[in-house]
Formats: sequence, structure tokens, C-alpha cells
Amino acid sequence: MTSDTLNIYGIQLDSRLLIGSALYPSPDVMQQSIQASGAQVVTLSLSRQNPEANGGASFWEMIKSLGLHLLPNTAGCHSVTEAVNMAKMSRELFQTDWVKLELVGDDYNLQPDPIELVKATEILLNDGFKVLPYCTDDLVIARHLVELGCEVIMPWGSPIGTGKGLLNPYALQAIRDRFPEVTLIVDSGIGKPSHATQALEMGVDAILLNTAVAQAQNPVMMATAFARAIEAGRLAYQSGLISERSTAKPSTPTLDKPFWHQVNYG
Amino acid sequence: MPNTPNIAIVGAGLIGRVVAVSLSESHKVTLFDRDDRQGSLSAAHLAAAMLAPLAESADSSLSVMQMGQRSLELWPGVLEKLQKPVFFQQNGSLILAYEQDYGNLVDFGHRIKGEMGKDYSSLTPLQLEELEPELAQQPHTFQHILWLPEEGQLDNRELLESLASTLEQRNVVWHQNTEVSIENRQVVYDGERRSFDWVIDCRGLGAKDQILQTGTEHGKHKLRGVRGEVVRLYAPEVNLNRPVRLMHPRYPIYIAPKADHRFVVGATQIETEDQRQPTVRSALELLSACFSVHKGFAEAEILEIKSGLRPAFEDNEPKIRVDGNLIQVNGLFRHGYLLAPAVAEQCIALIDTALPKPPVFEHLIEFTENSHD
Repeated sequence: MTSDTLNIYGIQLDSRLLIGSALYPSPDVMQQSIQASGAQVVTLSLSRQNPEANGGASFWEMIKSLGLHLLPNTAGCHSVTEAVNMAKMSRELFQTDWVKLELVGDDYNLQPDPIELVKATEILLNDGFKVLPYCTDDLVIARHLVELGCEVIMPWGSPIGTGKGLLNPYALQAIRDRFPEVTLIVDSGIGKPSHATQALEMGVDAILLNTAVAQAQNPVMMATAFARAIEAGRLAYQSGLISERSTAKPSTPTLDKPFWHQVNYG
Repeated sequence: MPNTPNIAIVGAGLIGRVVAVSLSESHKVTLFDRDDRQGSLSAAHLAAAMLAPLAESADSSLSVMQMGQRSLELWPGVLEKLQKPVFFQQNGSLILAYEQDYGNLVDFGHRIKGEMGKDYSSLTPLQLEELEPELAQQPHTFQHILWLPEEGQLDNRELLESLASTLEQRNVVWHQNTEVSIENRQVVYDGERRSFDWVIDCRGLGAKDQILQTGTEHGKHKLRGVRGEVVRLYAPEVNLNRPVRLMHPRYPIYIAPKADHRFVVGATQIETEDQRQPTVRSALELLSACFSVHKGFAEAEILEIKSGLRPAFEDNEPKIRVDGNLIQVNGLFRHGYLLAPAVAEQCIALIDTALPKPPVFEHLIEFTENSHD
């Protein structure tokens, strides 16, 4: 098979899973899970760790020791200024211009604020950042982000941590079909490996998840399950799915069956 | 005591004191600590002192749960030997979840290492009323409740005080507010360097640099601090008979009722070694958790709000490392009170080999063949 890679602003990756670093029972389990997932990108959050004083250094060191691409996020930021500042701080701390841009629009379900997101995206792209915006599945917002120069967009499957899967496959499919050249990553709401497979089958390029692995009873095994599910979904997409049919169609010829065995007899 | 070993204990937090009280019954013990008599700098001073092996097993190994259960058996015997009474209770604990956190409660039930119906059960609001009548009178009544009847708690500050006065009564030499280090398995302090038959390192995060030096190739022995913030309240309008644990998407929040309407509420759990005072967000989370559970907390007095760091290894499990006559005890994480007597028992058995063998716990004790001085 020809090389099939995920493109993140020109970096080619073999794995189509991006994984988070929060909510694991211990850093040890986190490291093992990330390794089992085969992910090449790890997201991490600066919020609450007092990054100004390098408060999370011990924890970040453990993530860095995995030798993967780091994707700092702006989780917990409510305003453009906050998010831009945190992005700049992350760039300095982790020596990367990648940022998962996340702007909370509603505290109850952590729904992203699409309007502020677009504003912050423009500022950060102009400042040389490679922005991976966490957005809703609204086609027009996606268009604004792409027009600004985002090469990656990350719509939700469902709200963060809900594990409800793809609540609106139609909307995701619309984004996929309208922006075939953009790297499309479903971020948040993935609860089961089958949700991830479904997204990949639709032509989504990759999945970003955290809770579904970190809070599983066996996070390391679940990480493996997701790695395989994502691989399956991608293979299925490349293989070409058959279309759905409303009537049964036997897969073996029926010509040689005696007529009284045929379904419509009588 | 001419033939008994001469033992140094470095670090007089919870583990240091529990080990010292036990060993000083029949050995010559000297304590060294940079901290004061109250243990103001220790994680033990801050903790809510929950004894909840089953609830904690949601995020820890079977071995930690079993050590916690062993400790619950051992605590009454430890307290019996002390000078002053210490508040101790084994009255169960309640796990409550709001509607939007119900999924977290279900997952919690799946992850704890116990059997539904045997080790824990789910309660109806009516059954909750029998256990905690005041919770049933609140405007918001909980529909999702788990009942863990074996869990307990104690008063950490009464315990630290009672351990201290017991050591003083036994005339144990205790170098307080003293900068101390361990070099070549000798204790270095005040420009002096002394050898002992045994040196027990119980310094918690204070040993961070030294533990790093002796870490293994897997890095499992890298010690880090995990921030926690705790509130202490005086709430005369609130009557709770046992600790209540509220499901929270990121960490459990305990409301632990101590004697005389004093409540310890905590703790946050944040992966940082930030040592600032508590943040507004954390204070809001902890206090709103209290107020949402019981409106009587509205007029409660905030006695203290404080932050600290828990010493933890990468697997968040405790370790006892034996390197010749140096014993290093560390990494008790959020489980100091949960595990202290069981961990101390193991330590003491390494020294007093004549004692009956305590239960074996997986991955707890490690012997270092070559020293890394």
C-alpha cells in the first residue's frame, strides 16, 4: 500500500490518533496508555499549573520523555486575550508553534465560542502559529477558519467528556465534502472505539480523544482498542464502502435453487 | 537499652512520627526534621485524613486498597498507645452525584475494586435520609448515591499532636527546625555527621533531589509534587455523621466532618508543583461543593484555606527502598493516612526481624543491591 499519512501543517504522521494527557489514574498509566495508542501527538494543558513559575515542570517532563509531538491547548480560556496569552506562553515553554485553540463559550457543556474562536485564530495565525481550532460542526464557521488559513480544523463529535459519539454525522460529512483538502480531526465526545471507526469511515482524517481512554477501567487496553478501531476505519474508507440498500440481496446466486426454495415462491 | 539498634528517622511528618512511636517502644530513636512540632510544612498537616480504601481503589492498585484495609485494622492499636485521644471514626462514607455527573458515578462504580451489594451498595433518597437526615431536608436532594459502609476517617491534627506528645513523653530526641540531609547513609545536620545502625528517610518531597539521584533506569522513582488545596470550616448549622464524597469531573471532593462541627473540605488535585496560596477557582469549587450539598454551609466560618504538595512517584504508589542500612519511605501521594500504619509496619519488620512477618504487598519493598553514594 502507498504511504498513507496524516498531514498536520506539513508534518506527516503515521498515526491518526491524537491523545490527551489528563485524567489518568497516574502518570505511569498515562505514559503506558499513550504508548499503547501509537499516537504521535499528545495534547497538554497549562491551565491551573501556574506556568509562569514553571509549576508543571515535573509532569511536562514525563510527557516530553515520550518523544512525541506536543500540542499545547488553551483549555479553560474564555476570552481572546486569555487564549492568545496562553498560546504564547505554551510556544515558549514547549518550543512549538502548534496550538490547539480552545475558547469556552458555555461553562455548562464547555461548548466552544465560535465567534471568539475565529478572532483568536486570526491573531495567532498572523503571529506565526499553526492553529488547530476546536470548533463546533458548523459548516460556515469551518469555512471562516479555512479562509483564514487553517490547514487543520477540529470540530466536535459531541461535547467534551460526554462520550456520546458523533451527534451530527450529517454536519461532519458536509464539512468533509466541502473541504476535502483540509485535515479534518474530530475532537471531543468520542466514547467508544466504534465512534472513532465511524468517523474515519466517513473520511475524517483523525481523532483527538482523552477521557474515553484515561477513564476506562483499563486505560492501556482501551488505548490499543482505539488504535485498532482507527486503523479499521481508515482502511474501510480507503477500501470504498458499499452503499446501503433497502432490500436484501443474496450474495450467492440463486439460479440453481429449486423454485420452492426461493423466497418469493407462492 | 544497650543492645538495641540506634535508629535515625529523618523527616517527622506522618510516616516519620508513626514509625518513631512504634520503634521508640524498644529502641533508641532520634528524629531529625526541618519542620516544626506541628509539622506545618508536611502534606500530613493539610490532609483531610480519609481512610477510604475502597473509594480510593477507583484510581489505585489492588495492593494500595489492601494496604488501606490493613491500615484500617491497625489504626485503633496505634491510637491506643498514644498520650492523648484522637478523633477516629469508621462510620462509612457516602458518594453523591448530581444528575450531570451521574456518568462519573457509574464509571466510579465500575472502577472501584469491590463487589456491589457486598462491599458497597446504592441507596435510595429515603435510605439516605436515615443515614444523613439533614441532607434529605435540603432543597436539592440527591438521587444518585453510593454507600461504602467500611470507610473511615480521623482527625489529622489531633493525631500529629498526640504522636508528638507521645514521643516527648518517651524522651525521644527530636531535632526540630533543623536543616538535615543524608550522605553516604549518614545523617548530616548542624555541621555534624553521624552514623546510625539504621537511617529511615521519611522526608516526602524534602527528599526529592536525593530520590532522583538514586532513581532507576525506568524513572519510576522520580518523585514529584501534586498540588492539593484544602478548606477548613466551622459550620455549627451542619450535622453530618460521616464523610461525603461528591463526584467531580476531575477529582473527588470530600466533605469530612470532624468533632465540634469542624469540617475539612478537599482536596483539589493538580499536576503542578506550584506552591502559591489556593487559587480563586479552587476555592470556588470547594466552597460551592459544600454549599450545594448543605445550605447550612452558607454562614460557616472559613478557619483556613491552604495549599500543599503531595509526594508521588510516577505510578502514584508508595515505595520502601532498602539500600544497606538506609530505608527510604516515600510516595504516599494522597494516601498518607490511608496507608501509614501498614507502611510503618513493613518498615519496622525490616529492622525488628524477630517480629511476626506482616502481610506481603506487591511492589512495595525494593532492595537496592549496589548503593549509589
